[in-house]
Amino acid sequence: MVNPIMIFILFLGTAFLFALFDKIHRKFSFAILQLVLLINTFIAGQWLYKFVFTSQTPVMIFTAGFKPPFSINLRMGLEEAFILFAVNFVGLLSALYLSKSFKHSKVYPLVLYLMMIMGVNGIVMTRDLFNLFVFLEISSISTYALIALKENEQRLASGFKYMIASGLASVFFLLGTIFIYHITGTLNIDQIITHKSFVITSLGFLSVFTLMMSLIIELKPFPANGWALDVYQTTTSGVVSIIAVANSAGVFYAFYKLLPLIPHNQLLFIAGIGIVSFLFSNLIAIKQTDSRRLLGYSSIAQIGLLITVTALTRYLHVKSSTSLFIISSIFLSNFIAKAGLFWIAGIIKKTHIKEWAILRFKPGLLIIFGVFIFALVGIPPFPNFWAKWDLIRFLALSKLHIWIILILLGSLLEAFYLFRWFGSIVRSEQNEEQLLQPAYKTVPIIIFFLLLIIISIGIPIHIYQFDILPLLPIVGLLILSIFDFLPSKLKAIISMIIIAGYTLYIYPVLSGVSLVFAFIFLAGSFIQLIATMSRKGTDKGFFPLLVGMILSMGSLLVARSSLEFFFAWELMTITAYMLVLRGRKAEKPALLFILFSLAGAYLLLSGLSYAHVINFSLVGLGTIPISAHMLPITAFILIVVAFLIKVGAVGFHIWLPGSYAEAEDDTTSFMSSILSKTGIFGMLILLLFLLKMNMHHSALFTSMLGWIGIFTVFFGSLMAIFQEDVKYLLAYSSMGQLGYIVLCMAAMSHLGWVSGLYLAVNHLFFKAMILLAVAGVISRVGTRNMYEMGGLIKKMPYSFISVLIGIIALSGVPPLSGFGAKWLIYTALLEKGWYFRAGLSFFASAIAFLYLFRLIHTIFLGQPKPQHQNVKEASPFFLIPQFLFIFAIMAISMFPNLIIKPLSTFINPYFASTIQWQGNTLYSSLGYWNGNLVMYVTMGVFMLLLIWLIISIGRVQKVKQFNIVFAAERPFKPTTTHFAHNFYAHYKRALGTFVRPVTTGFWNGVGEWISSAAGSIRQIYSGNGQTYVLYILLYFIVLYFIMGGK
Amino acid sequence: MRYTLILGFILFMIGLWAMLTRKNLFKIVIGFSIIDTGVHLIIVTIGYLSGKTAPILDKLVTPANAVQKVVDPIPSALVLTAIVIGLAVTALMLSYVVRLYKRRKSLSIEDYRELKW
Repeated sequence: MVNPIMIFILFLGTAFLFALFDKIHRKFSFAILQLVLLINTFIAGQWLYKFVFTSQTPVMIFTAGFKPPFSINLRMGLEEAFILFAVNFVGLLSALYLSKSFKHSKVYPLVLYLMMIMGVNGIVMTRDLFNLFVFLEISSISTYALIALKENEQRLASGFKYMIASGLASVFFLLGTIFIYHITGTLNIDQIITHKSFVITSLGFLSVFTLMMSLIIELKPFPANGWALDVYQTTTSGVVSIIAVANSAGVFYAFYKLLPLIPHNQLLFIAGIGIVSFLFSNLIAIKQTDSRRLLGYSSIAQIGLLITVTALTRYLHVKSSTSLFIISSIFLSNFIAKAGLFWIAGIIKKTHIKEWAILRFKPGLLIIFGVFIFALVGIPPFPNFWAKWDLIRFLALSKLHIWIILILLGSLLEAFYLFRWFGSIVRSEQNEEQLLQPAYKTVPIIIFFLLLIIISIGIPIHIYQFDILPLLPIVGLLILSIFDFLPSKLKAIISMIIIAGYTLYIYPVLSGVSLVFAFIFLAGSFIQLIATMSRKGTDKGFFPLLVGMILSMGSLLVARSSLEFFFAWELMTITAYMLVLRGRKAEKPALLFILFSLAGAYLLLSGLSYAHVINFSLVGLGTIPISAHMLPITAFILIVVAFLIKVGAVGFHIWLPGSYAEAEDDTTSFMSSILSKTGIFGMLILLLFLLKMNMHHSALFTSMLGWIGIFTVFFGSLMAIFQEDVKYLLAYSSMGQLGYIVLCMAAMSHLGWVSGLYLAVNHLFFKAMILLAVAGVISRVGTRNMYEMGGLIKKMPYSFISVLIGIIALSGVPPLSGFGAKWLIYTALLEKGWYFRAGLSFFASAIAFLYLFRLIHTIFLGQPKPQHQNVKEASPFFLIPQFLFIFAIMAISMFPNLIIKPLSTFINPYFASTIQWQGNTLYSSLGYWNGNLVMYVTMGVFMLLLIWLIISIGRVQKVKQFNIVFAAERPFKPTTTHFAHNFYAHYKRALGTFVRPVTTGFWNGVGEWISSAAGSIRQIYSGNGQTYVLYILLYFIVLYFIMGGK
Repeated sequence: MRYTLILGFILFMIGLWAMLTRKNLFKIVIGFSIIDTGVHLIIVTIGYLSGKTAPILDKLVTPANAVQKVVDPIPSALVLTAIVIGLAVTALMLSYVVRLYKRRKSLSIEDYRELKW
């Protein structure tokens, strides 16, 4: 093993010789610089390897032939090796990134650069307080000087502000050091920590406070951090990535090292400092449009989070291996992503975040950018995700509720501006511009990207012992990514094969209700994949995401633990977001989608953390004994709200219409008919827990849930009738239908659940059918506005048939399956005694008629538009799945026991059955229903009419389109006879009050309030360096008194 | 010892006052320098033991009796380092000021606040 002191010898030994090396050639001196950093990375890496993979214990390195406190000593342990490796590695890569700047500069920046990295190495290793000060100064002074690399006025100004702020902080550090020395008589950190009882004296407290605060100031806490933001905004990319990650890492480690000096009861104040910084930086960043300053805010926020987490885990006495894992995961996510993003900023060379749109034409770089952003937000499988999972669990166990709320709130704010940025790039309409991507700049980015991927895959496998099953969605996504160059049709087939294979693979695990959902998620997707074959060209990116999403839904079914469930849930969310974002006008809807989905995911996360079971999943449910306390009320409420967001229950529905409507047409059918059911699936697990637990007030909860369900039905249907855009209409219709399912599940009875699941399956059939038919129509007529269509029955007869069947099935008119669904629902509700809800759902069904009539009337009936003269029937790829679904609907309409019998058996273990079969007749306590008979009677009536029609057809005269007289005038334009715009104006007058956008108004209000709060708070950054010095001083004084200094 | 300690703090306060109220960049740097000096004075004072001599071994102070005769040598050593570092920082600050002045011909800190929010 190489003695870590070699690191300093290498740095110092070469740095002083650089003037000489440079005489030979700049290439030579630059090569030496790279070599030094490479060797040091290697040394640190070797130690890291020893600590991780062997039982190496931390070592102390003594200097000058004396033992401490008479000499300085260094420590090399797991933490040190980890940070040193990261710092030297990023130093190496950033040097490569800066190679052109170094080539044209004088030799001094090279020396300064080495000194800066060496300073950080020293900060990390030293165990001597004064030596720590020296290394802090070495690294700061070289940073000050490097800021002016490629000097311009703004850099100079920000550098000056940085110097006076940071200079003041280091003066305080010096003062703290000398007073601690005065009290303890030693400068050795370990000895000081062993004698830390001195902190209780007022001088002791003051000195420790001064010391820690000066370190915290160097970590840029809100609001004493204006100077740091200026530096982030102006400094050249290669240098700022070092400042943002390597320097911060060093100072953070110094903070970590000295944290034991803080008395236990003061730790929460330190955590508070961090969380304030995290929350406010993320809040203010919402208003920021300068890309680098935005990244600066995000960096400061992440460091704030690190401070909080470090202090909290210490406060809670979390096991050191666990707390190390949490801290290092958050640290690494920010370290890699932030360095990478700053590097990308140097390639883009644009300041405004909107101008980053040129990334859109560089798919490779765009993917990397996206991955870095996902890593920051904590999307699985990136390290932040696992850290968040463990962290929230610990906080929940320790009942630190307010911290959970604040951390998740801050994360949500961060996700908002990062995803907004990502979305605006993907969906921008800017033109392509030349973008230079020299290798010396892209190689570091790619290396960090790969590193992140490797770590992200390593964590679940090595730390959480994941087997392949929960990782299959990612595997599927990667396989399709490899084949992404193939034409769409081929990729659709590959996707189908993968899904079929996956289904076979998980089939043995499925049983009971999970079979029903497997049918919806996997079989439903399989059939709808046929429609995606209509995509032209290679259509890059679509299939990997789609397969990822479908397999994550499958993963939900077979998850064995809460973690696996949540992992699958988040994967599903992010892939669905990316799919929505593919829609042409989907920038805003996709943002709403991810925002609500993440909020839901965070609720789910906290709910699962409050639960006293670690296997919240359908598979896990069977393995745990019944206990009354498995899910406390808080957990129950949090989880149920998370699922209600997913199904788009009223109040949380505003994300739904936009994202369904603006997604690509075939994606919409996946989302509406399949993805939305994941919320139902989750709710089902939750209700099963409720059943097992025998919780207090459970009747009250389910009754509330029932009300939410019925109001979702009512408002969803009502809003659907006033839409002009066919996809919006169907989106609202989906919301209403999902409301029915929630209502049925909430009934908590055998019949309720049977009807809920029946409707879930049925909804898959008819909604997929209608949406695919509509997708086919839109693909031909090129508009989504229904009033711009009309009379398409002759042009697209097959699509017409499937929409017709679909709306019959949806509306609940005999003889099709929807009738059965409605019969079951009403019976279940009446049996339950929910008369008012039954009445309201009856009323809502009538409303559904209105929008369904409008759907078929305005699209297929009436007068064809002249521009649609040459419209052809939709592509067979759209028609095939529709007719498969028609077949399915016909089958279950004719033989309802095909589906109701198995459903009934699946529900039997949970509720006593209240229905009986006699042949094809289903008996409930209220009446009976015979699907066959209904079919025969209806068909009979239909045939009678048909026969009459055929007999009388001889007298029919064929008319051309305009061969009519209308109100004594002969129309020349179809629009005058086909009344389709504002179709239900009269109902709008009557019922308009119910569809006022109250919810949208509320959420808009929340958004505006947050935005204006951010706008006012950021005014504190006046730009004046002196003000920033004042903030630092006030920060000291105020915190001193808050923390109880006397 | 008391007096030098108080003097150190007074210098510290004067420097801080200058940094917070003077608009001229040079004066701010001078303020910083005064703070530094104050802190150095405090460091030396803390190591001082009344009636004892400098921690330098010579004819009178031998290794055998050094412990009784000299002041605490560590703060003295530290202050040397701190002075050097302070010098470096001050020099760098001054060179920043010179560069800034060359570019904008202004020495008022209020003229350098385009970067904000």
